[in-house]
Amino acid sequence: MSHDHGLPPKSSVSRWFLTTNHKDIGVLYLITALFFLVFGGVLALLFRLELITPGADLLGQMGYNQAVSTHGLLMVFWFISPFAFGFANYLVPLQIGADDLAFPRLNALSYWLYLFSGLLMGVSFFQGTTFAGGWTMYAPLNTPAYIPGEGLGATSVVLALIMFTAAVTLGSVNFLTTMYRMRAEGLRMRDIPIFSLSINLTVWMMLFAFAALLAALMILASDHILGTTYFQYSIDGTTMATDADNPGASLLWAHLFWFFGHPEVYIVFFPALGVMAECFQTFTGRRLVGRKWFIISMVLVAIQSFVVWMHHMFLTGINLPIKTIFMATTIGISLPFDLMVFSLIYTMAKGRVRFTTPFLFSLGALILFIIGGITGVFLGAIVLDYQFRGTYWVVAHFHYVMVAGATALFGGLYYWYPKITGKMYNERLGQIQFGVYFLGFNLLYFPMFIAWETPRRVFVYPESLQIWHSMATVGGFILGASFLLMFYNLFVSLWRGEDAGDNPWAYATSAEWAVSSPPPLENFPGVPSYATGKLEFLDDETVAERTERASGAGHGHAATDGGTAADGGAVTTRAAATATAMEPAHETAGEEHASHASFWPFLVSLGGFVTFLGLSGVRTGSVVYLSMAAIGGLVTFGSLFGMTREPFHAPEMAIAERWPFSSVEKMKLGMWTFLASDIVLFGAFIGSYAFVRVAYGWTAWHHDLIPAEHVTMPGLINTYLLLTSSFLVVLAMVAAERESKRGTVAALVGTFALGVGFLINKGLEWQHLFHIHSEAFPNGWNLSTNIASSTFYLTTGLHGAHVTIGLIICAYMAVRAWNGAYQGDDRAIEYFGLYWHFVDIVWLFLFPLFYIL
Amino acid sequence: MDWKGYTVIYVVLFAFATAQAVVEFAGLVESAYWIAFAVIMVLSVIKAVGVAAYYQHLRWEPRAVTYLVVGGTVAALALTGAAAYSIL
Ligand code: HEM
Ligand SMILES: [Cu+2]
Repeated sequence: MSHDHGLPPKSSVSRWFLTTNHKDIGVLYLITALFFLVFGGVLALLFRLELITPGADLLGQMGYNQAVSTHGLLMVFWFISPFAFGFANYLVPLQIGADDLAFPRLNALSYWLYLFSGLLMGVSFFQGTTFAGGWTMYAPLNTPAYIPGEGLGATSVVLALIMFTAAVTLGSVNFLTTMYRMRAEGLRMRDIPIFSLSINLTVWMMLFAFAALLAALMILASDHILGTTYFQYSIDGTTMATDADNPGASLLWAHLFWFFGHPEVYIVFFPALGVMAECFQTFTGRRLVGRKWFIISMVLVAIQSFVVWMHHMFLTGINLPIKTIFMATTIGISLPFDLMVFSLIYTMAKGRVRFTTPFLFSLGALILFIIGGITGVFLGAIVLDYQFRGTYWVVAHFHYVMVAGATALFGGLYYWYPKITGKMYNERLGQIQFGVYFLGFNLLYFPMFIAWETPRRVFVYPESLQIWHSMATVGGFILGASFLLMFYNLFVSLWRGEDAGDNPWAYATSAEWAVSSPPPLENFPGVPSYATGKLEFLDDETVAERTERASGAGHGHAATDGGTAADGGAVTTRAAATATAMEPAHETAGEEHASHASFWPFLVSLGGFVTFLGLSGVRTGSVVYLSMAAIGGLVTFGSLFGMTREPFHAPEMAIAERWPFSSVEKMKLGMWTFLASDIVLFGAFIGSYAFVRVAYGWTAWHHDLIPAEHVTMPGLINTYLLLTSSFLVVLAMVAAERESKRGTVAALVGTFALGVGFLINKGLEWQHLFHIHSEAFPNGWNLSTNIASSTFYLTTGLHGAHVTIGLIICAYMAVRAWNGAYQGDDRAIEYFGLYWHFVDIVWLFLFPLFYIL
Repeated sequence: MDWKGYTVIYVVLFAFATAQAVVEFAGLVESAYWIAFAVIMVLSVIKAVGVAAYYQHLRWEPRAVTYLVVGGTVAALALTGAAAYSIL
């Protein structure tokens, strides 16, 4: 027990609920993702059966729509990225020389939120009908007004996606902090193994793209649950064709979704690219040709991915100049990709290839990706897209690229299986699986190019195309069958496989192969270092020596601030990084061991699951749903509190490479990364407001939609309150630095009081607006009145929610300060302040936009 | 930074917020909307930069932290700007 720091052995079930270790969590991710692959795969087989003949005679119309929509969502969200992040969890710390992620409990929380979000998705099938509006969730089709029946299942799916997004955001913050704070000595960013590099770039894209998706989902959920009208063309019942009073409704969703959606395709593909590059290097025995350019290309694609989204909107009413610009950027993004493809081909040409299973899958992925990429370029041309949009050409294209990604990841599964399990799989059977897989894949998707005139997402199609669809269905079952071979192989090899040893692959050089299979709990036999150019493990003495030398030489903080600060603690979905700030920084005296077990992440996520399930049905007024929401909320909140109080040690590394964040302590870096995603979240909310207002007519808006009673004064008062509270937070810091307990407490209590004042003032204002009786607004001005009221209440409401979270943290800190905390160490207050000032800054823009202009 | 510096910033922020309201009370929003718009937004930007630079200490952090924040902001602006332009 003591040896494993409170973590039960792997054979014990309780270990898997408690663990915060990155390798355990990596395995959990892999298995869970494979489960969702089967889930989504079975749905696909069902509707492929349906498509043997044109017509909905097997699943029925609604059944077909549900199967297609949830298949897409499950595969894109719950299978492919989490599968990649199973590898990322397991390997990134090993590859960069860290003993775990920066915030292990947060990592466990990400996993449990992910699992429970998937379960919520599963439960939605039992709420009448589940979501049936296509994985792109276009509006207004997916607002309750247009969903047949009660639509509770659809709401659950939207909420499940919100929960999933929360998991992704926490994960992004965690990975970025890890990779910038915990690299082994001497390991520059550009030198980390290519898989980890690809994950680094993936996570950067995730941080920003998923924040935009979160905004879109929150707005959609609000239309579902609160009754706002963002995605409704006409609110007063006139027809939407002639007299829309929210003309931006549908395009708003398209912009928000695709601003996320295009980066998402690279988020899906980059980890696969990383796996391919690793396998190509190992199995050709060559370093990646043009590695530097490969990396530069990846960086370019990651940035460019945010400026191509409108190629998904060529058939909407956006203007021609913008379409042309986006056609150009789309052509631009395929260029760096070409470079990467050539680099892989050239590596292969120059090396001596060994056709092992992982290599076969990687090579297969490359071939499929080339076909997918070329057909994508067709779609990127406006004129061609006018023909292809909404047809099976698109379906074929994106399966060739996305499932190419999955193909590489299956290669990765074979590649790292010996590392993870210590056993070798059956090579022969693996190669056979590849053959069956590749055949099935092409038989499934290639006929779709030929039958491209089939309308997408529709179960009827011209009789003449039936032969191609029958072929595709057969291909689908062959593809499915190949997985049975894989599962059999990997399962049986757990017992019968030969021992793999530390490194079964000649020429595999990244650090995970330098330790045993599976690696020990804390990864390395000493502190990893590349200072001499190759991997070494330093003993405690050398470390102590080097730390001293570094501080003596004025390297400062970087090398000396190790050994303090606990793992980020309390977390609500959005306030994750926030709350980390209030975690007491446990001073760990040298030898203190890292913690590896906590039950709270599981409980928090369970509570979140119950809450969201409850929320999905509150609009029916049912007591069951209402009480689930209430009880779930209590469980979530209670376990967050428990998590904050739990002592948990995740020491910073004594020596590490930390460019370019060397003097930014890990909690602070975590907070800043989180805030960067929050900037995009609020940015997307404000952007949505600007967009629907432009669509309506910017200046007519104020006159037509906003009552005269909506005046500037309450906003101005709230601006004063928030500015003053921000000022008090910095004073609390100053007081803590000077070790004035009274000053610290007073400033924090003052902050709290001002924040409460802000909320009360806002509450009064809202009450007043809800109940006005003017000629223009005889029934008050509430959430559903018009698009202006919807944007006003939701955007300032989101801000109010941020204030509320801040106040809870502030109250907690005031109590701790009263008990003597923070004196002489103001860091926790500083981190809380970062969040609080951010909330203040947001208000600085909401105030003019919603009160003056 | 000591409390005096923080106080100076606070006073400036307070004054700018007031100035924004004054622009409205003076009727500029009615008479010259886009000028008022520009003035008010510029004041907001200056306030935001002030809070970030001094209260959030960005001035004293490595540049990379500022780039992180600017990155998020640019992403949000790109979305807003291009989306709005697409329907003009
Ligand atoms: C050479 C690079 C690529 C180009 C030029 C390209 C271009 C396009 C275009 C223009 C569309 C919109 C087609 C339409 O709806 O009419 C599209 C759809 C799509 N692409 Fe690509 N693509 C490329 C690579 C990728 C990659 C790497 C992935 C994923 C790994 C991907 C996934 C998708 C998906 C999922 C859709 C369908 C979205 C939907 O459901 O409507 N694409 N692609
Ligand atoms: Cu795209």
